[in-house]
Amino acid sequence: MKTRSHETAPALEIRDLHVRVGGQEILRGLTLSLRAGEVHAIMGPNGSGKSTLSYALAGREGYEITSGTIRYRGEDLSTLPPEVRAAKGVFLAMQYPVEIPGVTTLTFLKTALNAQRRARGEAELDALNVLKHVRAKAAQLKVSEEMLRRPINVGFSGGEKKRLEILQMQVLEPSLAILDETDSGLDIDALKLVATGVNAMRRHDRAMLVITHYQRLLEHIVPDRVHVLLKGRIAAEGGKELALELEKRGYEKVVPA
Amino acid sequence: MTASPAELIFQSSARALTAPWLAERRARANEVFEREGVPNRRIEDWKYTDLKQALEAANGIAPGRVEFAVAGLPSGAELVDFARLAEAPDWVRQHLGKSAAAQSIPAASLAFGESGFALRIPKGLKAKEPVSVQFSGGSGHARALIVLEDRAELAVEETPSTARFSNLGVEIVVGPGSRMTLLRFADAAPDSIQLEDIAVRVARDGEFRAHLVNGGAAPARLNLRLTLREPGASALLSGASVLGGHAHADVTTEIYHASGETRSVQLFKKVIGGTARGVYQGKITVAQGANGSDSRQTAKALLLENGAEADLKPELEILADDVKCAHGAAVGDLDTEALFYLRSRGVPESEARNLLVRAFLEDALLLIEDERLRAKAWAKVERAVASQTGAVA
Repeated sequence: MKTRSHETAPALEIRDLHVRVGGQEILRGLTLSLRAGEVHAIMGPNGSGKSTLSYALAGREGYEITSGTIRYRGEDLSTLPPEVRAAKGVFLAMQYPVEIPGVTTLTFLKTALNAQRRARGEAELDALNVLKHVRAKAAQLKVSEEMLRRPINVGFSGGEKKRLEILQMQVLEPSLAILDETDSGLDIDALKLVATGVNAMRRHDRAMLVITHYQRLLEHIVPDRVHVLLKGRIAAEGGKELALELEKRGYEKVVPA
Repeated sequence: MTASPAELIFQSSARALTAPWLAERRARANEVFEREGVPNRRIEDWKYTDLKQALEAANGIAPGRVEFAVAGLPSGAELVDFARLAEAPDWVRQHLGKSAAAQSIPAASLAFGESGFALRIPKGLKAKEPVSVQFSGGSGHARALIVLEDRAELAVEETPSTARFSNLGVEIVVGPGSRMTLLRFADAAPDSIQLEDIAVRVARDGEFRAHLVNGGAAPARLNLRLTLREPGASALLSGASVLGGHAHADVTTEIYHASGETRSVQLFKKVIGGTARGVYQGKITVAQGANGSDSRQTAKALLLENGAEADLKPELEILADDVKCAHGAAVGDLDTEALFYLRSRGVPESEARNLLVRAFLEDALLLIEDERLRAKAWAKVERAVASQTGAVA
């Protein structure tokens, strides 16, 4: 690795980002920065561009960056394919994890982990070592051995899918984790389990972006900073108390048009 | 009838298989071919595979002789070379060419064939190792006959000819309580016209399994006509095709449940890239009174590129009341959401495509019971998949 994140320089720096999806501009000049060790929350109503931001960061096809920059550890991410971003430490926990019949979760984890290690010039792990690595983490998230041997997400409940997303994050150990509405569809017990899993990942050299519609998740994953996303740009920022205020008074009152 | 230059290959030569006892069957086959000729796409059954046009495009093929090599025979098995057809034993006389006159292509292989063999697995003999049958040599027609007597077992691993033209007519007789497995591994043969007709009859409690790994040709057409004659007879047919370039692979199966209490399963998967074309026509007929028959058919195609084409045509004809029949066909593209999901976890695109394509084909290959042959089939499929997805095999 050429670059190492500097303690005070932002790990993720998004400047004046404009993104089009299907011919429509969704992000309209979004600016945001995040340092290693910090957890930031992005809150916003439906249609404000939350998922577009997460997909644009992960590099999904069809999310066209028309202007602006995404820099991660000093490097421009915007033209890199998703797998290269992943190998550089970017991870997106998806709002709707995808079902993939025919590929078992364990095979998938091994393939992904080793592909990233290969890309970073590290030695690959054999099946036994992957299993050891996965097992310990799976137990804490109540992901059973049987689930690991089933095809990815096929027949999993909403809660199981979200737990599996967190397990993937723990196994892949990214330096930038983006959690897109990880709380959606979870009951309170599942939410706590997932939040514990996320909190266990908080480290001085890891940055996290928690995207959510509701304040509820932020009671369990307490952010350093809260950004309000409205109509494709950051309309307000503040400390964790901003989330509470949004919940009480609503987006319109906190961020007047 | 005078043949056009394209049809020169459909002619009888002085070296054709002859024997007094076969004369009548050959004459009938000749009649059938004279009447029906080389199939073109106006023939319903050949709608997706225009053989006449393919022959015209091939621009004249010099007739030659099909060679074959049979290896790994178990002791006790009997092999008869059709070079000495006049002295053929009774079991050859009893079966050879009986099912040829049904359609013009198998009729042609009987009428114009110049080589071939018959193999008999006697009563109670269970061959432990698969017998390998390899076809090679020049362009032409050939016949083969495989007879399993009572409670016998045999696996045959067939490699078709990659001559510019080959038309093979195979007859398989599965005796009571016997099990026959056919594995047919055909690599891509972009310069070949590859025709094969396999007619199978399965007796009481007999089982016939066929696993086809197909790379396609210009075109490749495999006809599998199967009759489940008596209660307890069953058939399992599976196929995994990986087609690229201009390859064309047509698999047409006809299953006839002649008796009640018979079972058949057909599972065909096709992965199609380039401007290749994959065809599956699957007809199931349940005869009147064949109650308690059970038939399941699934055909699925995955199109990797815009120019690729799949034609899947299930057909059911049920004349009995109490039967179970299920069939399904689906054509789709590689799931872009799944692809992004895998890539977002660090799996490179070619590897992600490879993983998804393998997952798509897996159930068809899992049906191969013999571990060594399954591994061999996987190796073939993986190489073909890698060449379509850009991954390193």
